[in-house]
Amino acid sequence: MKHELFPWLILFLPIFAAATITLFTLRSRCCSAFLSIGAIVAGFILSILFIHANGIHFAGEISKTWLSIGNLQIDFGLKLDALSMMMLLIVTGVGGAIHIYSVGYMHEDAGFSRFFAKLSLFTFSMLGIVLANNFIEMFIFWELVGVSSYLLIGFWFEKPSAGDAAKKAFIVNRLGDFGFLLGILMIWGILGSLNFAALQNSITANPVALGTAATIAGLLIFCGAVGKSAQFPLHVWLPDAMEGPTPVSALIHAATMVAAGVYMLCRIFFLLNADALHVIAYIGGFTALLAALIAVQQNDIKRIIAYSTLSQLGYMVMAVGLNGPTAAMFHLTTHAFFKALLFLAAGSVIIGMHHEQDIWHMGNLRKKMPITFWTFLIGALALSGIPPFAGFYSKDSILAQCLEQKNYLLFGVAIFIAGLTAFYTFRLFFVVFTGKEKTDHAKHAHESPLVMTLPLVVLAVFAAVGGFIGITNNYGSQFVADHETLSVAQQFLEPLHTPVPMLIGIGVALIGIFIAFSLYKNATSDPLPAKLGGLATAMKNKFYFDELYEATFVRAHDFIAAVMDWIDRWLLEGFSIGLVRGGTDLTGRALRLLQTGNLQTYAFLFVLGMAVVLWLVLK
Amino acid sequence: MPISILTYIFCAPLLAALALVVVPRNYRVIIRFIALLGTFVSMVLAIKMFCQFVPGHDGFQFEQQIPWVNSLGISYHVGVDGLNVGLILMGAIVAFAAACCSWEIQTREKEFYILLLIMSGGILGAFASLDLFFFYALHEFALVPTFIMIGIWGRGERKNYATFQITIYLSIGALIALIGLIALYLQSGANTFDIPKIIEHVKANPIATNAQNFIFPLLLFGFGILVSLWPFHSWAPLGYGSAPAPTAMIHAGILKKFGLYGLTRIALPLMPQAAHHWMTILAWLCLGNILYVGWVAMRQRDLNLLIGNSSVAHMGFIFLGIASLNLIGITGAVFIMVAHGFLAALTFGLSGYIYQKTGTLEMSELGGLCRKLRFIGTALLMAAMAGCGLPGFANFVGEVSVFFASWTVFPVVTILAVWGALVIGGIYMTRAVRKILHGPLPEKYANVADATNVWRKLPYALLLASLFVFGCFPKLLTNQITPDATKIVSMTTLITAKPNMVAVSEIQSPKSENRN
Repeated sequence: MKHELFPWLILFLPIFAAATITLFTLRSRCCSAFLSIGAIVAGFILSILFIHANGIHFAGEISKTWLSIGNLQIDFGLKLDALSMMMLLIVTGVGGAIHIYSVGYMHEDAGFSRFFAKLSLFTFSMLGIVLANNFIEMFIFWELVGVSSYLLIGFWFEKPSAGDAAKKAFIVNRLGDFGFLLGILMIWGILGSLNFAALQNSITANPVALGTAATIAGLLIFCGAVGKSAQFPLHVWLPDAMEGPTPVSALIHAATMVAAGVYMLCRIFFLLNADALHVIAYIGGFTALLAALIAVQQNDIKRIIAYSTLSQLGYMVMAVGLNGPTAAMFHLTTHAFFKALLFLAAGSVIIGMHHEQDIWHMGNLRKKMPITFWTFLIGALALSGIPPFAGFYSKDSILAQCLEQKNYLLFGVAIFIAGLTAFYTFRLFFVVFTGKEKTDHAKHAHESPLVMTLPLVVLAVFAAVGGFIGITNNYGSQFVADHETLSVAQQFLEPLHTPVPMLIGIGVALIGIFIAFSLYKNATSDPLPAKLGGLATAMKNKFYFDELYEATFVRAHDFIAAVMDWIDRWLLEGFSIGLVRGGTDLTGRALRLLQTGNLQTYAFLFVLGMAVVLWLVLK
Repeated sequence: MPISILTYIFCAPLLAALALVVVPRNYRVIIRFIALLGTFVSMVLAIKMFCQFVPGHDGFQFEQQIPWVNSLGISYHVGVDGLNVGLILMGAIVAFAAACCSWEIQTREKEFYILLLIMSGGILGAFASLDLFFFYALHEFALVPTFIMIGIWGRGERKNYATFQITIYLSIGALIALIGLIALYLQSGANTFDIPKIIEHVKANPIATNAQNFIFPLLLFGFGILVSLWPFHSWAPLGYGSAPAPTAMIHAGILKKFGLYGLTRIALPLMPQAAHHWMTILAWLCLGNILYVGWVAMRQRDLNLLIGNSSVAHMGFIFLGIASLNLIGITGAVFIMVAHGFLAALTFGLSGYIYQKTGTLEMSELGGLCRKLRFIGTALLMAAMAGCGLPGFANFVGEVSVFFASWTVFPVVTILAVWGALVIGGIYMTRAVRKILHGPLPEKYANVADATNVWRKLPYALLLASLFVFGCFPKLLTNQITPDATKIVSMTTLITAKPNMVAVSEIQSPKSENRN
């Protein structure tokens, strides 16, 4: 391995930046931004240099012992292969663009330095997940991204809603981590190792090494992904997480952290058996459908994109479940480009609109914010799966994967979701950028500064061409032994190999866009609720999942807590203390009866005692 | 034999206490300086001792022994191995931090500092002692000031009740443990109070099984009450809630570990058969700590009661580690003992600061404090995260090792314990953060002042740094623990593997059994 130091630097530069900002440069906004951006950009450059020196198909591992007690061996290692190196590029590349954008977005915020410190903490944690070579190391960084997400969602902690959203995200993630940790314990208990490579070797050597526990262990590990990637039934935290600043939504809750679940599934793909994959596929498909339906009736610009993120994550998880980790990672990568782009463009709109997020207060921003408009359009086309944009290729590979696995139900669902996606994306697009200005804010909107629009343009380029620049080549080698490398032209025409899903996919996307166009081109209010009735209300209220969980999980815990508290207060404390106090008291009272102060009683007792002693002696 | 560094470590606070006796009570600065100096010297020496400690060294290090009562076999004997080296380091650091935090005490400072120093010195001495007599007596010496401090400097309406309750519980616990220790002394037949000698003796002549079955529960529950083992825990939250912050720091941080240390040092290696017998019960009892008390913590409206309950819940993980009776479990348990010491001291110190500034710990009254209290708020956030097992802080390492250890022995208990650690812990900690630090700042707290000068920040920074260091580099501690944890585990497994020795008689005279 060449440049062995580079991966360590890539990982540790951001945490160094975060620590330096927190300890020393909180007062200097300039230094803080410089440190944070410097760390991630340096990470990007070092990643490129490292990949250039070693080649993308290189596979290696650097490892140091972190903890060793008896047969519990936990390493701190860096796993470097195509999967992790591609993720390095995504995290540092997309992350770098978002860091730079944040300078503009957070410009007026009093917590500017604090923001960058937390952003760097997040980058460190995310890189840790990517590079982890064993389960516990991954779990450690898994928890750390959870806490950075908690800190960043609650960045404006004075808003009660932000504080609540942060708390909710943390707890829901913890529910997933509960399963994840149990899965890790189970696998360690059976196979005796935590290292991915060692586990893969023992599974390859003996495919039934996990025995009957294989499905359970796989699903428990999947729980972690369900929490982090916000899959049903733990999807409720992600939309609320939009309380955080928009760059955070773009980086953490769209491009990188929420994709960590998918990445983790691909990393441990060898552990998942057919039954587990089956469950994973259906959970993914269901989440994708549910979220797409909810997105149709949301009015907050960030929430719509958040639900579309949920839906696309469901797509990726479904792809993993359908035995297609390559397709999943492909979609993860293109999604990182176009979803970060959409969020950042939305952020630009929000800033231009003076922190207005309701799409029905916007309108006709096309003229006022041309760069935002064009880049958003590219992002929307990519998300909808229109060729030749990046999303088309990755979505097509997932659709093709459905057919290849002969899962026609999920294929149908995926097609339906593709149509819905195009519909709600362009609903957003038409309402925000075309038609009439609906408020004064919209009339006085302005384009964002260069520091914000430049990252938009860069991401737009990748969202446009990401489909055929060799991403599948890089992932393919990871999962398929005899993967053939395709040239750019071949990749460009790759979907033609499977014309059926391609044509259907493009067809439904165009239908979705057309319906959105006809309904929302000049709309000033949403015509759908009148047409859909109760369904629209249910969609708008997210199918009442928050209320359901409130009524079950939260209530149950609070109820148990109340009962336990009552027992504690009245039975344990009252009873035991009462017993001691009462016992002592009673003994005291009993003894007091003897001490009467009456001379006759004492004399009588004295004689009685004498008699007893005499009887004992003379007996 | 030269005087051991351990003697200096625990005598420094005691000497400082002695010096304070002759300082007039209005020389406040001098009183505070002497107290800080005493604990500081002890801390520096403890750090030096920790660095010089050689892991895996055969037998005890920094040993010193002076015979005292030969007829009973009592001697002054101190020494460290992997089990107590971390505890002494933690104890000395926490004691210094507690002395730093004592600026909140405004009345009868002289007496307060004297008692505080006695507590610190006494408990450090108990940890260093390798003689049962001093081990027990020094702990009692440290325990009694707790009651007095809660009674005099305590806060809240239920102060008297809290004092009453904690005194009863801890006295009874200590008494039961004492009966157990005396019975052990008689039954071992070694005619000595010297712990290493008893262990050597018992290796060759195991204690009769029926005697073990009688003594072990005495020690388990006697020590258990001192550690707030469920269902004998209700003294702890209320006691800590009413105690002045430095007292709570020292008691929850250091004194509470005494019972756990006693279990691992004495009960497990000397009575392995009984230990095996009782461990399943202990594993289920510890769920009472982790789940039940966790749920109780969710209901608390007072920050100190919440921290108190969460600290009781953390004890459950240590018990679980001990109950799994394997190398990973014992190491993890000792690791959490150290980690929790730092954490408990940190959280009680911070809540003391908040109480001092706002005059209340009712969480519904507080809110948005992160805006005003940048440093304290951040530290409290970190402490809350450490409390719900965030990696990077020392508690995570200990808890995760305990889970690995208990998974192989008690899978069902482990599943529930993981739920308690990740979910219930997460819920009450984030709720507390949401109520205290997040949300709008009530107007009455617009002038709350943060800890700005170095002295105010120092104790918190020191404790946080300790949590970080052991959380990021756990090998610093585990390397020292494992060799000696291995010895304990091998004693519990080897002796049970052998057929039971025939007990000579139910009650033996120690003299006639003395083979030396």
